[in-house]
Amino acid sequence: MNPSANAPQGVRAAGPEETETPRVSARVGLLADRDFVEVRFCGSGGQGLLLMGLILAVAANHDHRCVVQTESYGPEARGGHSRSDVIISDTAIDYPTLDSADLLVALSQEAADGYTRSLRREGILMYDSGKVTNPPSFPGMTIGVPFTRLATEETGRPQTTNVLTLGAVVGITGVVSVESLTKAVMEAVPAGTTEVNARALARGLALDYAEWMVDSC
Amino acid sequence: MLNCPMHMDQWHSHLLGERVDQSSLVIQGNRACALGALDAGVRFFAGYPISPSSEIMEAMADRLPAAGGVFIQMEDEIASICACIGAALTGELAMTATSGPGFSLMQEALGYAIMVETPLLIVNVMRVGPSTGRPTAPSQGDVMQARWGTHGDHPAIVLAASNVADMYRLTMAAVRFAQRFRTPVILLADQLVGQMRESFSPELIGRYRLTSGDFDFTPGYIHPDLAREVHRPHVLGSGSHPHVTGLFHDDTGFPTNDPEKSDSFLRELYNKVAHHRNELCLYDVKNEGKGRVCIVAYGSCARTARAAWKLADQEGLPVEVLHLYTLFPLPVEIIQQVARRVEFMLIPELNLGQYAHEVRKMAEQWTTVIGMGKIDGTLFTPREILDRIAELIGKYESV
Repeated sequence: MNPSANAPQGVRAAGPEETETPRVSARVGLLADRDFVEVRFCGSGGQGLLLMGLILAVAANHDHRCVVQTESYGPEARGGHSRSDVIISDTAIDYPTLDSADLLVALSQEAADGYTRSLRREGILMYDSGKVTNPPSFPGMTIGVPFTRLATEETGRPQTTNVLTLGAVVGITGVVSVESLTKAVMEAVPAGTTEVNARALARGLALDYAEWMVDSC
Repeated sequence: MLNCPMHMDQWHSHLLGERVDQSSLVIQGNRACALGALDAGVRFFAGYPISPSSEIMEAMADRLPAAGGVFIQMEDEIASICACIGAALTGELAMTATSGPGFSLMQEALGYAIMVETPLLIVNVMRVGPSTGRPTAPSQGDVMQARWGTHGDHPAIVLAASNVADMYRLTMAAVRFAQRFRTPVILLADQLVGQMRESFSPELIGRYRLTSGDFDFTPGYIHPDLAREVHRPHVLGSGSHPHVTGLFHDDTGFPTNDPEKSDSFLRELYNKVAHHRNELCLYDVKNEGKGRVCIVAYGSCARTARAAWKLADQEGLPVEVLHLYTLFPLPVEIIQQVARRVEFMLIPELNLGQYAHEVRKMAEQWTTVIGMGKIDGTLFTPREILDRIAELIGKYESV
């Protein structure tokens, strides 16, 4: 579907005159230049994974790109596996389910264990290091951030973890623009929580992933 | 033409509040179905919630009262379809939505609705069966049930949606077919199509006019070109004293055992759909006339088929895609037309070959029909389909 979907290649060139500049190892926007990208959020029911997928999908739509968001959950009402997949593309998306993820965001140990194999080898694994205490072995780029702890520190509310995590995802990978993400988050959050969510989002966006890189095996 | 069409900006409140970008939106398939129904003039919904169709009901509960309609949560699916038939007999456009187990319960009343010629929309968002099966996994296992689930020789109009836009426009088409032919229409979706969210531009809606002709929503209206086949409906509350029965009946609505009347009654019932196959059969052909293999697909498999075709194109394999939006009445003409020019017809489905058997009956005198079935609750990948195509073509070359 997308032959160029391999290793993270670097930041998007800043201007037309720089298009010939070879891409360098990136600090931000690791997936920003992809014309097709597959993202999977996974964890357990109740962590706001579905909303994360939906916000990212709406943000991609604000970027005027094509997007499909699917979800999967068990028959049980709460707990158990929960995941939300987002496919973002410059062209119409035919095949609607995730083939192999470019980015996997795991918010529970069980999800990290279960879904890391759906990540392509050159993909990026991000997990909540407070929840995933025994990270799965993954050869590619691995980033462990204590999302829940940071969100609680920043806003006093662990419920803002998903927004902070989205900020980190976009700050690091650039799968959608910061502007569109901000717009989508503000559209999605309940009235009265705009301020705390804006703080969580800003904190996530400002994360320096180099600080949280985990040595891969 | 439509009663109280929904204003565009009402769309956006379905998503994430009122502050959403007006130019396009990300919307769930089930919700798009509910919006299509509202825009088509459906003003009565009775249902019982069941995964993965519940969001249709939820959206109708949310919207219908404000649009001047009636929403009822019934005690089960039997009561749901019966309430819809009752509403339809008064001239309302009625719908219900369910999944496999609920659709099974509806079968008897579905036959009654066909017999008493009430327009009705039934949406079945398919999950893996039989029985309770897998409520949150996609399937296409109810295709033949949609055709033959209720007893007796009866007409059936069955459509299949493959994406969010289809959920809107095919719902609209289904309501119109139901109204025009005065018969229940079944819209099949699956868990994936129903519950996925996808970018969808409201501007595109204007292009979604799949059917033409006059549609009059006056209770009891029959289009002149169907006057001979569609029986004059008896509208409850219209001042006359109608008699409605599932027994064979004549024009008075009262039962008859007359063999001649019985024969002509059932033939007319059957033929009102069969004789209008061409206007009912909606399809799309990609790479027309350029394939040695044609992938015949519907529902979410049609999406995989398109992806496989694009991949095949890159790899130099001659493939065309016949995407069927109407499964029944059988699109005999287009299938035979394609069958005459390709060497293989490949039919990927999320069941054990239900529709492949139908295609085989129509096409096997011209081409080799091969079914591909999958029942594990996942979609085919484009690569799986392509590998099968490569194998077929390879086998052919080696002969």
